[in-house]
Amino acid sequence: MTNQIPQARLRNFSIIAHIDHGKSTLADRLLELTHTVEGRQMMSQVLDSMDLEREKGITIKARAVRLEYTANDGHVYGLNLIDTPGHVDFAYEVSHSLQACEGAILVVDATQGIEAQTLANVHLAMREGLTLIPVLNKIDLPSADPETIMDELENVLAIPREEVILASAKDGTGVPEILEAIVARIPAPKGDPRQPVRGLIFDSHYDAFKGVIVYVRLASGTLKANDEIKLMASGARAEPLELGVFRPQLVPVKQLAAGEVGYVATGLKSVRDAQVGDTLTTVAHPAAEPLPGYQPAKSLVFAGIYPVSGEDYPLLREALEKLHLNDASFTYEPESSVALGFGFRCGFLGLLHMEIVQERLEREFSLDLIASAPSVEYHVKLLRGGEVAIDNPSLLPNPSDIEVLEEPWVNLSVVTPSSYIGPLMELSTNRRGLFQNMEYLDPTRVVLHFEMPLAELIVDYFDQLKSRSQGYASMDYEEIGYRPANLAKVDILVNGEPVDALSLIVHRDNAQSSGRLLTAKLKELIPRQMFEIPIQAAIGSNVIARETVRAMRKNVLAKCYGGDITRKKKLLEKQKEGKQRMKRVGSVEIPQEAFLAMLRMGEG
Amino acid sequence: MARPPVGLYIHVPFCVSLCPYCDFVVVAGAAARGPANRLGALAAALRTELGLRGDALDATFGAPGWAGRPALDTVYLGGGTPTLLPAAEIGAILAVVRERFGVAADAEITIEANPGPDERGDASALAAAGINRISFGAQSLAAAELRRLGRRHRPADVANALAIARAGGIRSINLDLLYDIPNGSFATWTESLEAALALEPDHLSLYALTLDDPDAEGLTGPAGDHLPTTRGARQWRDRAIPEQDEDRAAAQYLHAVDRLAASGWHGYEISNWARPGHESRHNLAYWERRPVEAVGPGGHAFDGATRRWNAAHLGRYIEALSPSTGAEPHLPPGGSDTLDHGDAAAETAILGLRTDRGLPCSAAAEPPLDAAFDWGIDNRLLVVDERERIVLTTRGRLLSNELFRRLI
Repeated sequence: MTNQIPQARLRNFSIIAHIDHGKSTLADRLLELTHTVEGRQMMSQVLDSMDLEREKGITIKARAVRLEYTANDGHVYGLNLIDTPGHVDFAYEVSHSLQACEGAILVVDATQGIEAQTLANVHLAMREGLTLIPVLNKIDLPSADPETIMDELENVLAIPREEVILASAKDGTGVPEILEAIVARIPAPKGDPRQPVRGLIFDSHYDAFKGVIVYVRLASGTLKANDEIKLMASGARAEPLELGVFRPQLVPVKQLAAGEVGYVATGLKSVRDAQVGDTLTTVAHPAAEPLPGYQPAKSLVFAGIYPVSGEDYPLLREALEKLHLNDASFTYEPESSVALGFGFRCGFLGLLHMEIVQERLEREFSLDLIASAPSVEYHVKLLRGGEVAIDNPSLLPNPSDIEVLEEPWVNLSVVTPSSYIGPLMELSTNRRGLFQNMEYLDPTRVVLHFEMPLAELIVDYFDQLKSRSQGYASMDYEEIGYRPANLAKVDILVNGEPVDALSLIVHRDNAQSSGRLLTAKLKELIPRQMFEIPIQAAIGSNVIARETVRAMRKNVLAKCYGGDITRKKKLLEKQKEGKQRMKRVGSVEIPQEAFLAMLRMGEG
Repeated sequence: MARPPVGLYIHVPFCVSLCPYCDFVVVAGAAARGPANRLGALAAALRTELGLRGDALDATFGAPGWAGRPALDTVYLGGGTPTLLPAAEIGAILAVVRERFGVAADAEITIEANPGPDERGDASALAAAGINRISFGAQSLAAAELRRLGRRHRPADVANALAIARAGGIRSINLDLLYDIPNGSFATWTESLEAALALEPDHLSLYALTLDDPDAEGLTGPAGDHLPTTRGARQWRDRAIPEQDEDRAAAQYLHAVDRLAASGWHGYEISNWARPGHESRHNLAYWERRPVEAVGPGGHAFDGATRRWNAAHLGRYIEALSPSTGAEPHLPPGGSDTLDHGDAAAETAILGLRTDRGLPCSAAAEPPLDAAFDWGIDNRLLVVDERERIVLTTRGRLLSNELFRRLI
């Protein structure tokens, strides 16, 4: 049952929170209290419908749902809850979700206080001019400290404590007050339903039957079910199969009017034609100007993704195509590697995004994959003129051809209890971080600001941050552009042949230690062969580290009598299969596991 | 095409104690010694199996003495420690063998033994029962290495065992020695080898200690020909493997090759040396792919076309052949594997190359194995000798698996 609700009684809002502060639980409670989802259908965290999201406890893709709420004033209000991803990698999606709203519920964990993504999300919301409803969640916990955290909100974000609602999404405390606050504090959407249609696409997914389903917030106009539509940035046109709203399942309606949030089943075959941030209008009465803010999602982290078994390459291609229908925010193009065979160079929004894409490929398509070490995109000014962008270290031009090498930098904010300032300063400056300043959130917690090369961040900075702060510190970052850098490409050569997948770009000061580490590790991993194998690390033609795998001396079956023949033959067959799975670099056979272990080194 | 056996293997799975590196089908403890031992039950079951196997051979090839059914050239009692069986039991088993299979007048009849005084058996009684060759599991002649290996005997026991066997009239005596012993050294190896030579054995088997995992190889299931590795043995192997050393092992082997050749020993297989005339006929039968019948738990037979084995489990073995229900005895559980042409060709090549006879050059020119032979020659693992036969070099013996896996 879905009622047509006048614009004045619509409210469009998001919930923003740092990871684990209880956003999804609060959303579930709102759904329950407004009978959007009945108790018996309630599955914990309804909005996080991907398995992976439930497992990781994070929301990856934005989701939307319409709640119908009878307020204390006796009127029925239509509340459109637009969920946002809670992780730094998805800031781009967050900002588009927020553009579709007039207000946001800011959830802060009453036991944890402000975290790095709280700050980042609040800044995004303020930039969009949203009305904030601050909520301190988890006040039922004994360790909750609402007074201190209200101080933090006041001091750091200028949020008056009188506005803060104390709540427990778990037991329902404060949730009715939140619903009333949504009605009372968040303004109704504006926008003239008689103007040409302009709808902001804030999310999309691919449905095998209905094609691309776009999630839109209508800024103006009235979209009818039979209107032919056009996407202003991509230029794609479509005759929609269906319009509807989210309850949270898709419920068709006859029209969507200015201020409303709903979906359009476009019948389009690829999400690339209807990307997040694009503006939807009608062919018959097109809008003159698109809504502001569209830019294609930008890849920051790049890696090669390869099937462990070469024969799975066509399956990987197919899987990437299918996944891309749903997630246009990663890029992929074929590449091949001496060491890893045929695969794809993929671009991701960040490390978590990379991990999620890889896991989805492995789970949903039953693939066994190997990813090369993540890289950023370097900008290279060549001596002979011209500039190239390199996202694969092995493709970096020779040092003698490079005039300037630039790498991306980020502004990094780290929120931490003050007792970990020392170790985190050390970690960050070791990673070439430039300390900017420190702010106190309260007497015991601080925000540290650094500028840092993104390349240093994507290796294992986040894991190190967590381990050195016993899990208490959080981080957020945004890109701030390219800067020249004193970097060197270190190649790893096995028996004189470069192993492309193991090339890395490091700061020149760290080149030798990295080279030593890699050659020593590789020496352990390459089994002895019929001849001696030198393993070298080199910058250009200059060898900076060397190890040697000595020639094999003995591989013999000592006993071969009656029962041994069958057994040993099987053993030899296994050895042979093992050899067939090996990768060849020149004349050297290297087990796949060696590459896996080398590529995992950075994770340890 | 199946052919009648020229040899017979009899597996006796009992040992006084288990050695942690051993993968053979062995039971120790109460089944091997003491009032509840199963020695007699096994001996009876072996005699019954010999009868059943004999029946099948009679039906196919005719009774012993017929033209198509030659008398056995070799009988081999292996284990375990078959000398734990009383000589009278061994005599009774050999009597059944003579009756049902026929044994050539000059046949080689071997028994394996441990050197310890309580496990080596009574050599003169064994000789009286027909045994003419004993293979002693000496393993090392260094006291510390024997302890490291969990052996029960001491170096002096080896000398005594050998002397007693000689005095008892045993014609041919082998010593097994192990190299690449965990934390061993080149020096202990050369000393062990010299001490062994000083005892003047007729035959030496020098084995690289190989610590495998039969469970991981899938050999220990209900019909498997191996018993599961005990936890203690597994832990022992996990500790021992890092204490082995490929380079040291290679040096130890090369030393033995030179030392034995210098003294006129015949290195006739990768791991075996004999004084001329004492080459093991039983083992040569395996390498020449001649048919060998087998009885006992875990025993492996080959009839020229099919490899057949009995499952390893002693209890099920005895129950099949001496059913406690009083039912008719039947053959024990096990499995078999009939070789196709490619398997047979690979086996012929691998087993032939293990010996110093090698293979005729013509064998190396035939596809699909010719590429592997070329590779072996290019890498100095193979040479063609003055007999126009292709044989492993010494380097090739040490690296033979690299070649063999290319032949499979």
